[in-house]
Amino acid sequence: MNLAEGVQIVSFGILAVMMIGTALGVVLLPNIVYSAFLLGGVFISIAGMYLLLNADFVAAAQVLIYIGAVNVLILFAIMLVNKREDFAPLRNAWVRPVFTGLVSVGLFALLGTMVLVTPWALSTQVSAGDSAIFLIGQHFFTDFLLPFELASILLLMAMVGAIILARREFLPDQVMSPTKQQPILTLPERPRELVSVSSDKSSNLDDGRRG
Amino acid sequence: MFVLSGYEYLLGFLLICSLVPLLALSASKLLRPSGRNPERIITYESGMEPIGGAWIQFNIRYYMFALVFVVFDVETVFLYPWAVAFSSLGLLAFIEALIFIAILVIALVYAWRKGALEWS
Repeated sequence: MNLAEGVQIVSFGILAVMMIGTALGVVLLPNIVYSAFLLGGVFISIAGMYLLLNADFVAAAQVLIYIGAVNVLILFAIMLVNKREDFAPLRNAWVRPVFTGLVSVGLFALLGTMVLVTPWALSTQVSAGDSAIFLIGQHFFTDFLLPFELASILLLMAMVGAIILARREFLPDQVMSPTKQQPILTLPERPRELVSVSSDKSSNLDDGRRG
Repeated sequence: MFVLSGYEYLLGFLLICSLVPLLALSASKLLRPSGRNPERIITYESGMEPIGGAWIQFNIRYYMFALVFVVFDVETVFLYPWAVAFSSLGLLAFIEALIFIAILVIALVYAWRKGALEWS
């Protein structure tokens, strides 16, 4: 049983509203952590759109990679670098929103005319539907075998590069001056004031083990 | 034209799921006392009083775990079509997938030897 036409239109509307709303939130909210979480909302609604377009594997990949990996990395990056600081206000601060608005309106006009002008060739072919993953798997191991194996080498390279960058082994001395690096690498731990409680607990545990 | 089957259950699941937080929050709003105690607005942190703000820099070691996770997340996406089409692909595809996994095991061994999986 497939989804009825009306249900599809209603879910398309909900997804579109969700996508535009969360995307506006990403851009307009002052708090960057909220922006990162709303970006996850954008990705989720894009995954829903893929489902409506009969691309369930692409939707699953969207959820796994964009929400599970990319968005998590963005959040991690924010939590690593972000410290609330009080910046001095700029003198000509009005210039920035004006220029941003001009660029955004220009980009919107460009993309809008592109959408309207392009003669979209709608395919009359029935899409693969449920057997799409099966077909993708067969193509992976027959005619797209080399790209498939190259992908694993690409992942290996990404992993090695990331580890080297994160461990800062090959950076010159000027970049990693120890005084500057120290605050990044220290764990902001809270003072431990629970000595009496924890010692009670451990003695209780020891008693239990003896008993 | 929508040809995927079984997604009406997903839709019903989503509808019921979106009701859960709404009902939970509104029910607790109806039931709870409405006093304005200053302790109520403190962040709940396992029963301990939070020290300092929540806007702190997190340790870079978390990022290493996230990077290792991302690599194997992408591996999952690549292996999923193989698992679905496994019965029709035969022995050769099995060996090819083993090569794919072996190259990524090299990445895991590298991360392990470099101490990216340790919290030291």
